[in-house]
Amino acid sequence: MSDNDDLELQALQRQLDDAFETTRPRSAFEDELWSKMQARRPLWTRIVDVFTGLFEAIRAAPAVPAAAAAVVLILAIGIGVFSAGGVHFGGGASTTSSQAGGAQYNASAPGAFGRLPAPALQPVPIEDTGGPKAAAPAQQSGTNLYLGPARLVWAGQLSVATTSAPVFRYEEPTALDADRFATALGASPAGRTPGTLGVYTGDGFVLAVSGSKRQPLAEPTFSLTPDRSRLPAPGPTEADTAAAFLTAHSAVPAWPSVDAVEQIGDVTQVRYLRQFAVPGYGFAYLVNQWGVRYGLAVDLRGGQPLQATGPLPVNLATANYSIISADQAVRSALASSPSAPSAAPTIRLTSAELVYALASAGDHSFYEPAFLFSGTFTQNGSTFTKRVLVPAVGPQ
Amino acid sequence: MLVVSWAPAADAANLLWTSGGSPSAYHSAVLADRPPFEDLYRDFLGRIYAYVRAQVSSSADAEDITAQVFMNAYQAYGRFEVRNTTPAAWLFRIARNATLDHFRATGRREKLRRTIEHQPTSAEDPSGMAEERIQYRALLAHVARLPERQRDAISLRHSGLSFEEVGVLMSCTEDAAKMLYHRALKALRQSVQDERA
Repeated sequence: MSDNDDLELQALQRQLDDAFETTRPRSAFEDELWSKMQARRPLWTRIVDVFTGLFEAIRAAPAVPAAAAAVVLILAIGIGVFSAGGVHFGGGASTTSSQAGGAQYNASAPGAFGRLPAPALQPVPIEDTGGPKAAAPAQQSGTNLYLGPARLVWAGQLSVATTSAPVFRYEEPTALDADRFATALGASPAGRTPGTLGVYTGDGFVLAVSGSKRQPLAEPTFSLTPDRSRLPAPGPTEADTAAAFLTAHSAVPAWPSVDAVEQIGDVTQVRYLRQFAVPGYGFAYLVNQWGVRYGLAVDLRGGQPLQATGPLPVNLATANYSIISADQAVRSALASSPSAPSAAPTIRLTSAELVYALASAGDHSFYEPAFLFSGTFTQNGSTFTKRVLVPAVGPQ
Repeated sequence: MLVVSWAPAADAANLLWTSGGSPSAYHSAVLADRPPFEDLYRDFLGRIYAYVRAQVSSSADAEDITAQVFMNAYQAYGRFEVRNTTPAAWLFRIARNATLDHFRATGRREKLRRTIEHQPTSAEDPSGMAEERIQYRALLAHVARLPERQRDAISLRHSGLSFEEVGVLMSCTEDAAKMLYHRALKALRQSVQDERA
């Protein structure tokens, strides 16, 4: 075989590698197929799921004696069988059709969501030995977030009057949903690059729509990038410029939010921190996997918009769920780091609030209520923040 | 501070089934120390789809067959034993059988005709307008036209399987799989050159 032959065949092999590597099903196929598989599972495997969820709930609850857990287990066997047969227990207390901040939520049948996946913060690395371990700065919004084990002490006040809170559910959007959103913003398809549901162009802007991400978990998003050569004059403040930009492109968020402005290098970020209305409580912030509030963000440089990035509007169904008490939340928070080594720092958790966090179950995702505990400690001259997220929905 | 020690959920599930009842795929996975099926699904869905697509080159057929592969795999996962084969080899065996079943059911000649007629597929996939992707699609169409064993050798190898795994799946030795692959590669190059000429 000549050298040329070799080179040709090697080139062909590289092309084949690329061809196989880039040939993938359409973005919605993975979730569609998974849903079909779940729907065809035999009855007993669904019952096992009920038990698995039950044990997760028991593990999360502190100081439950083993004998008591055994009793609960026996009861749960009965409940599991009935649940699998179509009788629904616990969890969904009632269903509401609510309007929060102008967003229309679709009402679901009572208990329709069933057992929920538990929202969680970014997991602690298994090999962590207790030294301060900070998350990447970009993900924690300027805070030295401590991810290692700790001895936790509660030194704050938490009072929650309500005993239930809404859970919001949405289905993973398809490319067609992305197309509809683009049309509403006056944009037309310009292709579909890998990792997106669609890329679109409008009059003086480019729009990209992406589906959910699993690691770190994130909801479907859109990003709107203006043509820098066709920008209007800046407004009196950065917040005004951001608002005018969103208004001009019909991208003003329909959900309740609180504005925040942060300077990151030469970029000013105007954030619309998303909130969810909780009857009997007020508004609860949406937090990401690092416990950081987030929503829609408009980046500006030199007073002009660079890009707007935020959650893709999706149809939310809602159902009320019973939530744990403040005392239960505190106990769960303190028990969240039970095997901390003796060298681990002792951290006083001094604040807690009801928040919403994203949790995914494959074809569906949920915004679920949770309690976010925070505390700081200083080590070697640096101040670290410890956050603990406790799912607020009670055992289901 | 409250400290709670509790058995892992997996142990609890084992305990639950030791008194009788059908072992679930989940339960068996725990016992055999095999990965959860969801991990397999996430890791291999794309690769299996690409393998199937290289055989049929029609996205609709590829989706149907891929769906059948994972349905079958999900049902059979309780019988899968890590010590006998790798998850990749196990899944690709199911994929290979499903693809062969597909050809048997529909007729290879008819499928090939439809396959060729569908190239390129810009009308059904606007996103595939990028020149590079069209080239890849065309290359996979050439793969689809190779004789069955050559097509299989290339598809399995470029789906990430070792020659040993390819050999096991194709019922031949590792060396025979290598020779078959290289013959297939040359045949593929000839096919591409013939079309250019």
